[in-house]
Amino acid sequence: MRVVTRYLVLLFLFASIAGTVYWFVTYEAIGTILLLGFACTPAIIVVYAIRHGSMSERRPDDDAEADPATEAGEVLGPFPAETVWPIFLVLGTIVTGASLIYGLILAPVGAALLIWAVLGFTRESRG
Amino acid sequence: MTTILDRRRQAPSPRRGPGVVHRLVSTDHKNIGILYCVSAFAFFLVGGSLAEVMRLELMEPSRQIVSNEAYNTLFTIHGTVMIFLFVAPFATGLANYLIPLQVGAPDMAFPRLNLSSFYFYIGGGILVLLAGVAAAGQAAAMGWTAYPPLSEMRLSPGVGPDLWILGLVLVVISNVLNGVNILTTVFLMRAPGMTMWRLPVFTWNMVVVAILGLVAFPPAAAGLTLLLIGRRLGGLVYDAAAGGDPTIYQHLFWFLGHPEVYILILPFFGVITEIIPVFSRKPLFGYTGFLLATLTIGMLSTGVWAHHMFTTGVIVNPFFAAMTLLIAVPTGVKFFNWIGSMWGGKIWFAVPMLFSIGFMLNFLIGGVTGVMLASPALDYQAHDTYFVVAHFHYTMLGGSVFGIFAAIYFWFPKMTGVMLSEKLGRVVFAMLFVGFNLTFWPQFVLGQRGMPRRYVDYASGLGYDTPNLVSSVGAYLLGVAVMVFLVDVWRSLRRRTPAGDDPWGGYSLEWATSSPPPEHNFDELPKIRSLRPAFDRQHPELTP
Repeated sequence: MRVVTRYLVLLFLFASIAGTVYWFVTYEAIGTILLLGFACTPAIIVVYAIRHGSMSERRPDDDAEADPATEAGEVLGPFPAETVWPIFLVLGTIVTGASLIYGLILAPVGAALLIWAVLGFTRESRG
Repeated sequence: MTTILDRRRQAPSPRRGPGVVHRLVSTDHKNIGILYCVSAFAFFLVGGSLAEVMRLELMEPSRQIVSNEAYNTLFTIHGTVMIFLFVAPFATGLANYLIPLQVGAPDMAFPRLNLSSFYFYIGGGILVLLAGVAAAGQAAAMGWTAYPPLSEMRLSPGVGPDLWILGLVLVVISNVLNGVNILTTVFLMRAPGMTMWRLPVFTWNMVVVAILGLVAFPPAAAGLTLLLIGRRLGGLVYDAAAGGDPTIYQHLFWFLGHPEVYILILPFFGVITEIIPVFSRKPLFGYTGFLLATLTIGMLSTGVWAHHMFTTGVIVNPFFAAMTLLIAVPTGVKFFNWIGSMWGGKIWFAVPMLFSIGFMLNFLIGGVTGVMLASPALDYQAHDTYFVVAHFHYTMLGGSVFGIFAAIYFWFPKMTGVMLSEKLGRVVFAMLFVGFNLTFWPQFVLGQRGMPRRYVDYASGLGYDTPNLVSSVGAYLLGVAVMVFLVDVWRSLRRRTPAGDDPWGGYSLEWATSSPPPEHNFDELPKIRSLRPAFDRQHPELTP
């Protein structure tokens, strides 16, 4: 098991125990849900890692004697050193959110900006 | 790590040069880190100016310059800006710049997500500022905690509170995206040999901060969204008259709000723990103990949120008092690490070290008063008085902001390739240290004498006059210190005294590359065999 997985298991255990103790000490629902929700966060990653076996392999970064030259990886193709789409993504989010304040007439504009930004990101990813 | 390194090397993307437009759209982590730091500092100037206006108003009894409503807006926007738009984003900027360098990676794991996160932060920040300048009677003026029923439409009308909520939700999104990016980078992109137990302490602390962010920010976003739904769509979750419960909001808010204190301070624990050993010419004392203390603080900080709710009467006070007292133990361990690292060392009192020592002294007072407030009996007396204001500022301004200045003086040469002035830096430190203590120590006295926070005015003859006057004078000294610092930065960038790659004799990996580093960070990565790879490279004769 990779080192990181062990940390995440530790976090899961802590939050589970804290949530359980909190419930029996206070019988207060909101805090209990929050703490158990905290437990779920690392648990989701751990379950994913274990199911896909991606955390079981020993990696050069866990090897105290590894050399930088041991490194070799898959080539995925280019990715952009510059991008403008985050700006449109945020603008779309703001306009969509503002539709709750200034009127739902803004919602289609915000949605259009969001879709445009997501399409832009996707097109950019494909080079 | 290899994947991204290889694809970048094999298929480099064209660049348009280092113009302003390129800076605004570049996905290079170093560029994004600098954007964060500069923007956060700009927000600091805004938030600090609002504080100066408040101190001007409070310098003497009776109302002089701002209306009641304007004063409420001032402290609402001041608190929000300083916490969510200055300290935390500055730490994010440092993390963006330093983490890939410290772990030996060519960039963050998700560069475009990284830039998106920056723009979510800027968008949120602009909305928060707009919330403060909305038309008269419509600005956000419900305090940075925005408790219902005060933040409901009938008591806080207008668009200001809505813009404030929307702005904070964007900041939350930014923080969550950052958390994902930091964790993925550290967990999956470390250089060969950079095991988790060789990670620099700053990076380790940012890992804990990222986890805290992922755990604590989403509930706050839920709480804020429910508030917006209540204001605009008639939601009743917080409406006691309709069977709702306003304390649900307090739980959701403080489940972020208290870990947020550690989100704000842990990065700077990391910063000064990087600095102190370097300027003591010794290895860090008790690396493992330091990391275990950081992990313990991170975990315990998720169980202390309701100590802000002692006086509500709806929580089990002893549980939260015990958890809060417990968290002082790992925090105390860190003081032993710092003192142990200095003990017997050849201490070099350069400006980063001065700020680190200032941090320790100020934070100690903030921490000890925090332990006092963990006692419900005392908290009932001090709640909503200036004692709490002083305690909080001793941790955040005396702690985090001194950490920020330490970080700037330490890593500015790495980021820009030029040195800041030692002489002016000492002046800035002296003015900040004296100004800070002049401003906030009298506020302990005010709190002890019962002066409530968030009041625009006070009567003369209650023992409030002199401490308020001294506090305001201190605040202006702080303002002057920040101006001197800006002059220092401006002069240094004009004069361009070369820093060299490693002006301090640093230990961690970022000191093993050029200043500023090349686009993909390292022309050649050194072997990593200890906690101090840069030191090992400089002194191979001392390497085990």
